[in-house]
Amino acid sequence: MHDSSLSDTRSAPATTAVTKTRFRRRSKWLRAWFPYLLVAPAVIYLLGITLYPGIYAIVQSFYAVKFGPWNPVGFNNYVKLWGDYQFWGALWNTLLMGTISLTLQCVLALTLAFHAYRDPWVRGWRIIFLVPMLFMPSAVAFIYKLMFLDARVFSDILIRFGLVDGNLAIQSSIWGSRALLILTDVWQWTPFLFIIFVAALQGQDEEIEEAARLDGATWAKIFWNISLPLMRPVIAVALVIRGIDITTMFANVFIVTKGGPAFGTETISYFIYRTGFKFFNFGYASAASVIMLVLTIIVAQVVVKRAFKSARG
Amino acid sequence: MAQIELKGVSKRWGAVWGVRKVDIEIADKELLVLLGPSGCGKTTTMRMIAGLEDPSEGEITFDGEVMNAVDARDRDVAMVFQGYALYPNMSIYENIRFPLRMRNVPKDKQDELVRRAAKMVELSDYLNRKPGALSGGQRQRAALARAIVREPQIFLMDEPLSNLDAQLRQAMRVQIKYIQRELQITTVYVTHDQIEAMTLADRIVVMQGGAVQQVGTPDEIYSDPANTFVASFIGAPPMNLIDGMIKDGNFVADHVEVPDVGIKTTGQIRLGIRPEDCAVVSSAEQRHNMKGDVYGVEPTGDMTVLTLRVGEKNLEIKADRDYRSELGVQENVVFDTNRLYFFDSQSGERVR
Amino acid sequence: MASIRRVKGENLYIRYLILSCWGLFCLMPVLWFLSIGFRPRTEIITAQPIYFPTLSLDAWHMIWSDWPMAKYLRNSVAAIFGSVMIDLVLAIPAAYSLSRYEYRGREDIGFYILSTRMMAPAIVAIPIFFLFRNLGLLDTIWALMLVYAAINLSIVTWIIRSYMTDIPRELEDAARTDGAGDLRILWEIIIPAILPGIITAAVIAMIFVINEFLFTLLIASTPDAYTMSVALANFTGGSDGVIYNAIALVAFLAFVPVFLVVIAIQKHLSRGLTMGAVKG
Ligand SMILES: Nc1ncnc2c1ncn2[C@@H]1O[C@H](COP(=O)(O)OP(=O)(O)O)[C@@H](O)[C@H]1O
Ligand SMILES: [Mg+2]
Repeated sequence: MHDSSLSDTRSAPATTAVTKTRFRRRSKWLRAWFPYLLVAPAVIYLLGITLYPGIYAIVQSFYAVKFGPWNPVGFNNYVKLWGDYQFWGALWNTLLMGTISLTLQCVLALTLAFHAYRDPWVRGWRIIFLVPMLFMPSAVAFIYKLMFLDARVFSDILIRFGLVDGNLAIQSSIWGSRALLILTDVWQWTPFLFIIFVAALQGQDEEIEEAARLDGATWAKIFWNISLPLMRPVIAVALVIRGIDITTMFANVFIVTKGGPAFGTETISYFIYRTGFKFFNFGYASAASVIMLVLTIIVAQVVVKRAFKSARG
Repeated sequence: MAQIELKGVSKRWGAVWGVRKVDIEIADKELLVLLGPSGCGKTTTMRMIAGLEDPSEGEITFDGEVMNAVDARDRDVAMVFQGYALYPNMSIYENIRFPLRMRNVPKDKQDELVRRAAKMVELSDYLNRKPGALSGGQRQRAALARAIVREPQIFLMDEPLSNLDAQLRQAMRVQIKYIQRELQITTVYVTHDQIEAMTLADRIVVMQGGAVQQVGTPDEIYSDPANTFVASFIGAPPMNLIDGMIKDGNFVADHVEVPDVGIKTTGQIRLGIRPEDCAVVSSAEQRHNMKGDVYGVEPTGDMTVLTLRVGEKNLEIKADRDYRSELGVQENVVFDTNRLYFFDSQSGERVR
Repeated sequence: MASIRRVKGENLYIRYLILSCWGLFCLMPVLWFLSIGFRPRTEIITAQPIYFPTLSLDAWHMIWSDWPMAKYLRNSVAAIFGSVMIDLVLAIPAAYSLSRYEYRGREDIGFYILSTRMMAPAIVAIPIFFLFRNLGLLDTIWALMLVYAAINLSIVTWIIRSYMTDIPRELEDAARTDGAGDLRILWEIIIPAILPGIITAAVIAMIFVINEFLFTLLIASTPDAYTMSVALANFTGGSDGVIYNAIALVAFLAFVPVFLVVIAIQKHLSRGLTMGAVKG
């Protein structure tokens, strides 16, 4: 288009030579590709750290890999997984503990946020509630292990109050161990949701609430009918992020229960770790990774995308 | 120092048209105002002149040179934005100096130019402040200084005064016009405010729906509108439009009759008459063109805006400053028959 | 107390009861941390728990003299700092591109970057382990740096993108007509304007990296590359069992600086934690 107009003498008294010296022309190619060039390094880096391992895991999942050579075994690893009650157990444990923990955290954080956000000392509350989140999870796991298992502080307190008459055998009870893991997670990560919910509540238009109050609504009604529905997108995003971190929980299991008793607290992450790095059954562990990867992709496409879209507007 | 030409310029995003086949010629040193309601494509047109947006079709030339493929940074235009767009992390001095720095003006020259520009907009005492510490009017002037500091070949101003209050706006308007005359730089000024357009412009381009409706001097736009849109957009209160018929050379409508209008066509037509070209007559016996019931009386001090209910329509009349009336009273109105406008009732185009 | 805002039917006693209870629940284990950290080893695991131990600096001496704690600390700091640097270098241009240009596939690229945050470390752990082994990077902080950077890249990109989106487009247009090029605009206009966002992103990245455990455990299998968190997990002291007082003390020492930094960016925290989805 430009070329034809340059040769159009009717409209261009200036010669092309002058044009070139006066105005620099930009490269169309560079204009079109510049934004891609800017994201490229980040995307390549992430592809390297996700796509490469993904493909590697898929390939490895078709082999029996112990220490030496890779022996192709076809779908054997998957067939074995299908019948592996420990794998299914790990999947179940992950879901079970994840759901309970996430529900508890969400309800607690909402309750706390709703009571705190109008408070004049909300900044102070936030700082106090924030504290658990900033400790190293491994240290937290150790301290909880000490408190509940090794030093039996929890049992001791209950005994002193006369609530039980002997030491609790938390360690040997599946539900006791699960409860301990959940408690640790609730203690450490409820603040995450609390901070987000408080911010969301503070960001809400006060006038809506005031109008409702003038209409005679009580606080419970305001909460259920106004604040909560307005917060839905925020809650969705926060739960998605938290839910992902809970289902990939590893450190606590590794330190506190080692998946026991009777594999009752073994999560998928721990299952993969144990299969791969304890029993050096890498092909088998990779097959489990691939299944988890597929689940992740489904969740990401279906849930995460939607949550983030609605939260951003 | 540049003559600008837009030839068949269009901009669209998918099915959305921002600007449709616009042809505008802007003379050297001229102050041209793009006027139109919000969303009519003014900003888009200006951004295409600046090179911030690529036209989908058509050509933009400066002094006859096609600029389509030239980057905004190389076009030597300066722009003043509605939101001022001052760099928040830099002081006012640094803000004004920024374009000089980008163009590698020698260091010692920079300081001199910055101070001169600041002086022109009366900001010399505020050079060390950050934009956040200035009032709206001062920010506006800082943005102006940043635009004039390097004496570009073209000024572009996109509703630069719309965030200011009325008094400040008037003062700034005068200042902008003065500076533009002083520096003799071709300027395109965008606004939706007809007063601004009328007072500033050498010529006005009225836009609507992405297309140019009329180009002309403020006088031409006001007294010789090309269609009903221009007629009703300019002037406050706007021109009255009355649908009626031409019968035997006379205009006839509900409660309205104007003899010998000198229009050759017959049938459906729309009559336009400005509120100031109407006058209330004191008695029903006198010659009059229109009858209506008083619907509203709004004294503004220098005049009284009288709204009459004529048939199904409300029409406005600028009455004498002392005019007062009860609501519902019948009034008779005479038109200045030298200032009648006729428009096609379908297309809205002027009929002469 | 008349000035305290409340809604009809809300009981202030209940409000403060709930908040104080949770506050106590938050702080009790922290007190426990401290009391463990400053007691002698003999008073940690006993037949009856000891609630008022003798004050002792055993753990303090132990971590600085018996263990190369200074080295672990250095490893942690180096890995965290290095990874955050890598993230910023990669994320700022990416965020700029995602927030400022319109092009095909932009949303998909943005979502791909986000979705890497959703990947469980365990999924990629084995291949990454082999990758670094083959590259000879196992047991180096370089490997940690690279992995940490990857873990946080999505978060950092999204947080920065959210702040960049908030900058009015006019600002950039002004710079462009003033004669600045794309990179100049990024460096001189955008980055200074969103500095708080960049700092927030860096702090959030830091919190997540300090929390990272699995990769560190796999990649750093010898004390040379231990970071604090994995060093702690390995303080099982062989025949001595777990040396709890040292663990508690180290954890507390590591907590203090993180706490201070987080308080400094408190205002931006919610936005950071949701990767920009919630504007605090
Ligand atoms: N980036 C864009 N994408 C899609 N439509 C746009 C875009 N920018 C402007 N438009 C549309 O183009 C029309 C003209 O916009 P604009 O030039 O900003 O109007 P004005 O400045 O006269 O108010 C509007 O209808 C607007 O919605
Ligand atoms: Mg506009």
